[in-house]
Order: sequence, then structure tokens, then C-alpha cells
Amino acid sequence: MFFHIVLERNMQLHPRHFGPNLRDKLVAKLMKDVEGTCSGRHGFVVAITGVDNVGKGLIRDGTGFVTFPVKYQCVVFRPFKGEILEAAVTIVNKMGFFAEAGPVQIFVSNHLIPDDMEFQSGDIPNYTTSDGSVKIQRDSEVRLKIIGTRVDATEIFCIGTIKDDFLGVINDPGAAA
Amino acid sequence: MSVDGDSSPLSSSGSDDFAALLNEELAGISSDESLEEEADETDQDHDGEEEEVYEELNVEDADFAPKRSKRQRLDMLDDDEGLHCSTSLEPVSQSSDVSVQLEICAHPSLIKGMCVKCGRMVDDVSAVALGYIHKDLKVGSDELARLRNKDLKSLFRKKKLYLVLDLDHTLLNSTHFQHISPDEEYLKSQTDSLQDLPNGNLFQLDSMRMFTKLRPFVRTFLKEASNMFEMYVYTMGERPYAMEMARLLDPGKIYFDSRVISQADCTQKHQKGLDVVLGAESAVIILDDTEYVWRQHKENLILMDRYHYFSSSGRSFNLNNRSLAELKRDESEPDGALATILEVLKRIHQLFFDLEQDDDLMRRDVRQVLKTVRSEVLKGCKLVFSRVWKIGEQVENQRLWEVAEELGAICCKELDASVTHVVSTDMGTEKSRWAVKYKKFLVNPSWIEAANFLWQRQPEDSFAVNDSKKEH
Repeated sequence: MFFHIVLERNMQLHPRHFGPNLRDKLVAKLMKDVEGTCSGRHGFVVAITGVDNVGKGLIRDGTGFVTFPVKYQCVVFRPFKGEILEAAVTIVNKMGFFAEAGPVQIFVSNHLIPDDMEFQSGDIPNYTTSDGSVKIQRDSEVRLKIIGTRVDATEIFCIGTIKDDFLGVINDPGAAA
Repeated sequence: MSVDGDSSPLSSSGSDDFAALLNEELAGISSDESLEEEADETDQDHDGEEEEVYEELNVEDADFAPKRSKRQRLDMLDDDEGLHCSTSLEPVSQSSDVSVQLEICAHPSLIKGMCVKCGRMVDDVSAVALGYIHKDLKVGSDELARLRNKDLKSLFRKKKLYLVLDLDHTLLNSTHFQHISPDEEYLKSQTDSLQDLPNGNLFQLDSMRMFTKLRPFVRTFLKEASNMFEMYVYTMGERPYAMEMARLLDPGKIYFDSRVISQADCTQKHQKGLDVVLGAESAVIILDDTEYVWRQHKENLILMDRYHYFSSSGRSFNLNNRSLAELKRDESEPDGALATILEVLKRIHQLFFDLEQDDDLMRRDVRQVLKTVRSEVLKGCKLVFSRVWKIGEQVENQRLWEVAEELGAICCKELDASVTHVVSTDMGTEKSRWAVKYKKFLVNPSWIEAANFLWQRQPEDSFAVNDSKKEH
């Protein structure tokens, strides 16, 4: 799920940036530091949409660096249990398949792939129904449901399922080829 | 904002003054101070709200999933009223869904400590880590058995078995740049380009500071073996090395896929085990040049003659003769070790799938087939050993004795008329002279070794015993 939230961060700035462009430098550094990172609590920071406020700076003794508390708005992405996501398949093996929804890695075990789909090894490993009409392979797009998330400091990993109504392949690269 | 926690108490007053000054200055740049403070307060409030939002969401996650799907269904039913006949079915399937969800999960395997079936965090220490599939994947023993069984069925449908391949000295030979001997320097100008992976066989890998020479015939070997086997790479090398070698051998990623097992995946130190291989032991053949690492799976093993192309490789096994690279020679392609073994593999594969007497494929065991094929190599030979080992040693425990018996020969201690071969290191012993007198075959011990590696009875003439007088 995406959220638009306000976050705060203490930014350290080198003295060479002190001057008329201080605020610009601060914002540029904020974007560089924060966008694309993941925090366990809020999920992945997708983009900064605005800076609300730059607080009072405090000089750090000895280094001359100044720390500013910066409050900014940003779009974050955090998967939740029960959420339906669309994801691109990356790896297919006997155990199941891995898929990615943006920065989130999702594993769908063969227990949670419909029983009529069987693993086929070969140069392009895939899961295929017995009549061959549906195929999951690398680069397939699937709609899946998150059943578990594990949130670490820098990474979010999910377990998903496609063994439910309206879940499964939504775009098959093999069919188009 | 307790940022200057590291400032010493002595200098603090001065820095505080300066900080105040700077703040005043900055206030002009950014915004009004009072506003900032207000904003601070509102932010704290906001933070609190945020948490609440998350909590609500979590509650929803936990309880809402079944409800939500119900709502979805109801919506659907409202939409198409014409399908009322199916309504009676809907609740039934739904309730069965719910009961499945309520079933106790056996936690078949874990990824990052999370059960792959129910998504809960589980702590299972007995699960086997399969790091080569995913770095955080652990699979329980029941699940391993289930997977193997399932996989075996689909594999047999394709008439395939498993083949576990070692890298170093079996399929290729590598050496570090600094271990190249002066006579091998010429190789540097003969390496194949890394752009031409499918055809080259000598590569210079700058990132690992290594030369790698693929064993002659290996490309054909892999191509033909892939029709009969699902192949794994299993090496005691480290993961980056294993991956790089797999790339050289299989640039198209069609033979090994993710089945590359390296040192870090082994569950026991200095031992290779089939416990991390997703294949039933009864259908696995192992090709390796080192016997002791497969202590628990000797019956699956086909021992390979070591491939030493570089001199450093031979030296590490105390072989001091000149290396193939120094002699500018190489193993023969049409009848080198890999070509020979490919023939053996073909025969085993054929026997395994052609056995008429037992219809149940699942109960067949490739180890039995391996044993049978092996025991036909020296069938009909009756061996007597002379001066092969020291007097007083238990002959039955000798490796050569064991090998000879595995190859189907009958070994005995005393001479009689039915003996066909005398294996000796010395022309002068009583048994050797007896062999000459009665026109029996007199061979040196490497005749057995050769038969063991080549899976064929070797011409006895090429293994004649050297005259001890000439030798010294």
C-alpha cells in the first residue's frame, strides 16, 4: 500500500554548504539520502514530495558540521498481510517462485500455487497447468496476495499466495512470443 | 534535540553562544522561529496519528482477510443476479476455504524464518538450509522427502536421473596467476575470449586472478548427459568461484539453472552430502575425483581420474612430472576420461530404465545398477597379489583388494590353477615367477586402477611388471 506521510530526519551538513543555497543543498542531500531506502516502520521511501520545515541547526563541536531537523512529506510503499499486489516473476524453481513488486521481494511456495499447476524443469523452468493453458515463468506478471511479511531494517520480504480466486497470471510473456 | 552529546563540558558554553547566534542567522533564512516551534508540536501529534493508522491497518490485516473476500463475493453476486443458481454453491466452497486456513500448518519450509505456507514466523532449527536456491531458505525434513518424491516422479516421466558433478579435476582445472610455471607462460597468449564462452576451453579470469582450462570433451559430455540427467554442480570451492565456473561450462544456463552447490551450502565440514540435493538418493549418480568427501554416499559415486592441466595442480597432489600444459599436450578428446564415463553413464541409464523384471520405477535403485555395471568390468578374473602391500597387513581391508572385488574380480591369497592374473610390483617374487611359468597374466597394480577409472578391462600388455633390477 502507498502512503503519503510526513517524516522527520536530522541532516548533517558540511560547513562548505553554508550560504545562500543552504536550503537547496539540504533538500538535495535529503533526496539523495532518503529516496530508495527502506525503513522497517514505514516501508520504502518512493519519493519526497515536499519539505515542510527545516528546524534550527546545531553545530557539532570539533567537526563544524551542523545538524538540522528536517520535516518532509514523502510517498512510502509498505506491503501488508492480506494485500493484493501485482508482481513480476524473477526466479522459478522446484520450491516455488520469486517475484518482485518494485523493491519488495515476494516468494510464492509451491504449496500456495494451485494444485493443477506443475513444475516443469528445462531451459525455462516454469509452472504449467496440465492442459498447458496457463504458464508461470520468468517475467510473467502475477497477481498475488501477501500472507506474511518480514520487515528488516533495510529490506522487506513477503510470502505470497496465488491459490485463491482471481489470483494468478495476468500477463504471460510466453503466450505473446 | 540532543545532538551535541559529545561536546565536552568545558567548551559547551562557548559553543552554545555560537549556536544561538547561528540559529538567529538561520531563522532569517528558513522561516520564523515561532512557527517552527508550532510545527514541531504539530508534528509530534502527527506522529502519534500515524502510529494509530498503522495499528488500525494491522488489525485489519489480521481479522479482515476472510471478511473482505466475503464482501467481494457478495458484490459479485449482486452484480449478476441472473446467476442465482450458483449462489448455493458459493458458501460451501467458501467455508471449505476457511477450514483450510484454520488447519494447523506443518511449516514445510521457511524463508527468512517465515513459514512459506502460512506466513508466520517460525523457529525450526532442524530444517536444512538450501542456500544455493535462496540465501535464507530452510526446508524441513518432511518437506524435503515430499519434494524429492514428487520430483522423482516427474523426472522418471522424462526418463532422467540425477547427476551430481564436481568441478575441479573432474570437469576442469584452475590455477592462480602466480602459480603459473615458466613453461606455462605461453598460455597467456592462447586464452580464449570470454565473449566466446560456448567454444573456448582456456580462460583467463582477471577478476579472480585465475586461469581455467576445461577438460577436453566437457561440452559434448554436458550436452549428452543433459538428455539423461538433471545435473547439479557440487564443489568445495567458494560460491563466487562456483558460479563463475558454472557460467563457463553453461553459458546458456540450460544445464544447471540454480543447481550450483558450493562449500557454504555443505552441512558438514569437509564432507559433501546429498542432504542439500533435491533428489532421491536412489536416483543420484555422483562424479567426483575425491572419494573421502562422499563418505556417506560411496555407492552413488563414480570416481574420476584427476585432470591436472596446470603444473601447480599436479604439485598439490604430489605429482612431480611435467604438466600437460608444460608438455603442450592435453587429454585425448575422443577417448579421454569424460568420454569413457559418458559411455558408462549411458549404459547405467539404459539399464535403469530398461529393467524388465520390476515394473515399479520408483523402487529401482541406481546404486544397484551401478554396482552391477561395475562388477562386470573384471568379471572372470581371479587375482593373486604379490608384494603389493606389506607382509602382515590385513589384505581384505586393502583398498586395491576392495576395488578389485567391486569390479567383479575374485581375489585370493594362494595360487592355484584357476588363477588368471598375478598382480605384482616385482618380477622376482615367487608368485610372479609362477605366473610367467604357467603363462598367466602378470600385471602391475595400476592395471586395477586403470580398470577402475575406465570401467573396462585393460589390455594386460600395457601394464607389464617392470623388472626390479632395471628400476633400481
